[in-house]
Amino acid sequence: MNQISNMQIFCLLSASLVPLAYLYVPMVTVHYANNGAWLAFLLSILPTSLLVYLYMYIIKKSTQPFPSILNEHFGKILGKVIGFLYVLVFFFTTVFSITYFTALISSSIVPDTPLSIYIGAVLLVSYSALKSGMENVARVLEIVMIFSLITGLFLVLLSLGQSANISELLPIIETSYWDFGSAMLYSFSISGELIAILTLAFFSNDRTRIGRPLIWVLTVYAILITLTIVAILMDFGPEYSNHIAFPSFKLVRSIKISDFIQNIDIIFISVLIIGIFASVCVKWFLACFSVQQIFNLRDYRFLAAPTSVIIGIAALMTGKNIVAIQIIVHQVLPYVYGVFYVLIPILVWLVLVFKPTPTQNQVKAPTS
Amino acid sequence: MRTVAAQPLSEKLDDNAANLHLLLEHCSDAVFKEFTFGPQRQNRGLAIFFDGLVDKAEIELHLIKSLVSELKENCDDPGSKHTDIIKQIKDGVVSIAEIKPVENLGDVCHHIGSGDTVLLIDGSSRGLVAGTRSWKGRSVESPENEVVVRGPKEAFTETIRFNTAMLRRRIKSTNFKIESLVLGRITKTDVVICYIDSIASMELVAEVKKRLSKIDIDGVLDTGYLEEFLEDNHYTIFPQVEYTEKPDRVCGHLLEGQVCIMVDGSPIALIVPTTFPRFWISSEDYYERYIPSSLIRILRFSSLFIALLLPSLFVATITYHQEMIPPPLYQTIAATREGVPFPAFVEALILEITFELLREAGVRLPHAIGPAISIVGALIIGDAAVKAGLVSTPMVVVIAFTGIASFIVPSYNAGIAIRIARFGFLFVAGFMGLFGIMITFLLLLIHMASLRSFGLSYLSPIAPFNKREMTDILVRRPWYLTIFRPAMKGMENEIRQTKKDLA
Repeated sequence: MNQISNMQIFCLLSASLVPLAYLYVPMVTVHYANNGAWLAFLLSILPTSLLVYLYMYIIKKSTQPFPSILNEHFGKILGKVIGFLYVLVFFFTTVFSITYFTALISSSIVPDTPLSIYIGAVLLVSYSALKSGMENVARVLEIVMIFSLITGLFLVLLSLGQSANISELLPIIETSYWDFGSAMLYSFSISGELIAILTLAFFSNDRTRIGRPLIWVLTVYAILITLTIVAILMDFGPEYSNHIAFPSFKLVRSIKISDFIQNIDIIFISVLIIGIFASVCVKWFLACFSVQQIFNLRDYRFLAAPTSVIIGIAALMTGKNIVAIQIIVHQVLPYVYGVFYVLIPILVWLVLVFKPTPTQNQVKAPTS
Repeated sequence: MRTVAAQPLSEKLDDNAANLHLLLEHCSDAVFKEFTFGPQRQNRGLAIFFDGLVDKAEIELHLIKSLVSELKENCDDPGSKHTDIIKQIKDGVVSIAEIKPVENLGDVCHHIGSGDTVLLIDGSSRGLVAGTRSWKGRSVESPENEVVVRGPKEAFTETIRFNTAMLRRRIKSTNFKIESLVLGRITKTDVVICYIDSIASMELVAEVKKRLSKIDIDGVLDTGYLEEFLEDNHYTIFPQVEYTEKPDRVCGHLLEGQVCIMVDGSPIALIVPTTFPRFWISSEDYYERYIPSSLIRILRFSSLFIALLLPSLFVATITYHQEMIPPPLYQTIAATREGVPFPAFVEALILEITFELLREAGVRLPHAIGPAISIVGALIIGDAAVKAGLVSTPMVVVIAFTGIASFIVPSYNAGIAIRIARFGFLFVAGFMGLFGIMITFLLLLIHMASLRSFGLSYLSPIAPFNKREMTDILVRRPWYLTIFRPAMKGMENEIRQTKKDLA
């Protein structure tokens, strides 16, 4: 069995959550909560912490990686049915990750280049990584995610210095409680991406300390997204932000230092390519690994080739319509994530409350 | 012929001589010296050696003369059937230090081929091998490819025993082991495996021996022959075995639990296992004070990225992402490129290929002409190309800067890998800009992460991340804080110094 360190798990979880959330969480929270978006996001970290605790509890009381956890606790038939739905969800999120990124590139950066070039390139890299195995994916992400997170944070700090208009952060709750709550719920549901831990924890070489990477991811995520929302509000204000398709990208584009460093959005895109690659890798891995678990296959790696065709075609079909993508971001993602990443894990938790904690010997290692 | 070589020695000297004459037919350098000895000169002996590989004076004085003049005084009646004449000669007559019995014709041939002298006695089915190796070889000189400002300036030679002696002189512990084996069906080349018994992983040593023992080739003329057999992954541009011509560097690696392999006839030692970041570490880093060494090491790692990516980044920027360049700077670049008939990618490719040609010519030419060629290439051709409008000045600057950065790498084989990869990046930069560069960079990382050197991850200690070892990769850890050796699976002793030693 391949084992990965908790540092690598931190990178994998960051890859799963941060890059795409950086693009659309600030946009949607500002859309709902206007000037109070930063507070809504910060407050959403509280229920997210509870969700993290819930995931930890499920890991502690389970002997098999997700989605086999579902078989273990819901029975074989129901477990497999729900597990299959998760496979679809993981494939959907993989396709969406590619689509959203290509939509950004084709609409804001190089509109003349065919979408298939970008989709093909991202798929090629992710496929190579996945084919080489989980251990290698973890090693590559260990290098690139640290670099991406540091560069991302640096760019956000630079953009914060562009316009220090603190008044744009007030009043705190200008909108209705419903909108403020919607912003919070949206942010909370997106952080359900951390569900990857239910699978990754079983690859860890130190499962007793699996909480540490989760806490670190949550901390980094909270800092990065809060600062981004703050910078967007201070630079553009809530009204203008609501009219921009990709405010986080626009934020980086506005960075100008000493009339010499300017238009560094291509650097941001380079970093984002890494982030999207990482995100796609993790989600695609979860999809293939789930298929392996549900159908009791020996390995998941051979699934990378056939599924790459499905993902590629699906991404091409959806990537052309930017309006549809925005609708997915605003209206589909929170419900899908809410049901599959929050509600079903809560049901699992409820079942587990009445079950004893398994011994270390009962825990099964992933077979690939 | 092969069946003769496998035969045991006969008690009859004439039979042995006839078989050896058959085996060494048409070997004009083989010398058969027959002589008689004993009280009445009733015993016959035969000394066999290859001319040019032995010290003839030693054979005459300490082997033949000893037998002829001293056997009678020091030994029992050599003609007696109860006397083991070989044992008597070995223990009481011959004054050569390295002497051992030999029992078949194949071993006789191997030993004389190695420069030993074999003594056969009529009436005995065993012979004696006397260590009389001596030949003209290159003396110990300073290294040609690993020049250092501070630190030992000795380099290995082509004689394996000199090389092992240079290591033994530095590591006097009896735990320092030098195991020998013979490789090459025809060349019968001596190969040694060196390691420190109490430090190196025995699993690693066993794996090295296993991989070497699997080699079935007609000849081994250099360590380069073995390198490809030892690698875990053959389809890659990246070297998975480190090599050096400096004994002090080998000793440093042995103290870190690695294993060294040397081949007779090669002044290069192989070191396994290795990782990619280690190629950017020079032995001199550990001789100079840690602050300057660390800064130089950071500079070296920065140069890796310059050597790999600078031309492609420049091409991508001026072709696709001009908006990134401040307008005054872009105007300058555009003005110099005005009239250049090629796109930036082709321009960079032409200059890169020219640079590689000049570099290769400089390496192969005699030392007296090499620098002259470089100057002619760099100054005259470069200047003429710019004046003719074939290339632009900024591109010349970029390629020259890249060339300088690529010379900083201490290991030649790792430098070649970077040079090859640079061309790949140049191509994708020309067609896809920064997006292509990032995609290619990720593919390169994925490939590197999948590589192993004797099971050790090629990118360690960066990935998988190891905090303890990272403090001696990007920077040089001070000696007084070097408590542990680099971690390696199965290493027997990780402690390098105890904390109580710290002042």
